[in-house]
Amino acid sequence: MMLQILLAISAILFCIGLLAALTRSNAILVLIGIELMLGAGNLNFIAFWKFSAHPELLTGVMFAIFSIALAAAEAAVGLAIIIQVHRRLRTVNINKADQLKG
Amino acid sequence: MHDLLQYLTSRHWEPAPEWLFLIPALLMLAAGFAAVVLRNLIHCALCLTLSFIALGVLFIALGAEFVGLVQLLVYVGAVSMLIVFAILLTPASEVAASNNPFRSFNLSRALNAAVGGFIVLLVLGGLLAAIAFSPHAQAAVLPTTAATLKPAAIGQNLLTQTLLPLQGAAILLTAALVGAALLAKEEKQS
Repeated sequence: MMLQILLAISAILFCIGLLAALTRSNAILVLIGIELMLGAGNLNFIAFWKFSAHPELLTGVMFAIFSIALAAAEAAVGLAIIIQVHRRLRTVNINKADQLKG
Repeated sequence: MHDLLQYLTSRHWEPAPEWLFLIPALLMLAAGFAAVVLRNLIHCALCLTLSFIALGVLFIALGAEFVGLVQLLVYVGAVSMLIVFAILLTPASEVAASNNPFRSFNLSRALNAAVGGFIVLLVLGGLLAAIAFSPHAQAAVLPTTAATLKPAAIGQNLLTQTLLPLQGAAILLTAALVGAALLAKEEKQS
C-alpha cells in the first residue's frame, strides 16, 4: 500500500513538472519543470529500492545517485544555453526563439 | 538543564509512525506546484528550492540517507543557485509585463494552457490508473530485513560494480561543465 502511495506522489510531481514544461513560455521555467520530473524519477528509484526483495544490492540507490549527477550536468548546460539565447535574442521566451539561423 | 537532558536520554522514544513521510511529500507537491504557477521568477526559484529540500527529507525518511544528503548538496546547493543566477542574468521583460494583473486576454496563451492541462490530466490519469491496478505494486510489501544504507557500502559498490559508469559520469560532468562555460562565455565581436 505504501509503495502505491509513493508512486502516486511521484506521478503527481511528474505531472506538475510536465505542466511547467508544456504550458510556460519562459525557458527557465521549462527547465524547472524538467528538474521536477527528474526528481519524480529519483523518488521512484528510491521507492522501488525500498520495496525490492534485495535492498542490499543498492541498485536503486546507485541509479538515483547517477541520475542526480546527470541532472546537475543537464541543468548547467541548459542554463548556459538559455543565457546565450538571451544574449542573442534579448528574450528567454521559447516561442520567440524559433529559428535555427544564428 | 540537567533534568531535561536526563529526561531526554531516559525517555523511551516511540518509532516514527509510518504516515510521517506524508508531511515532506505534501510539502514537496505544494511547493512544486507553486514553483510552476507563480508569476515572479524569483518566487518560482525559491519554491523550487523548498520542493527540493522536501524531496531530500523524503529520501531520508525512506531510509536512503546518503541519497537525501546528495540531493540536498547537489540540488539545493548547486542547481538552485544556478537557476537563481540564470534568472538574474536574464532580466526578462516578462516579469514586468506579468506584474500587471489586468493583462489582455490572449487566445493563444489560453489555448496553450488548455491543451497542456488536458495532456497533463491525461498522463496523470494514466499513471494513477496504472499504479492502482498494477498487481506488482499491490503485492509489494516491505522486505523483512530492513534496508540499511551504509555510505561505506555505496563507496564499495561505486568502486567495484559501477566503476565504469562512475568514470563515464566523471567524463560527462567534466565535459558538461567545460561546455557550459564555453557556451555562456561572452563572444568576441569580430
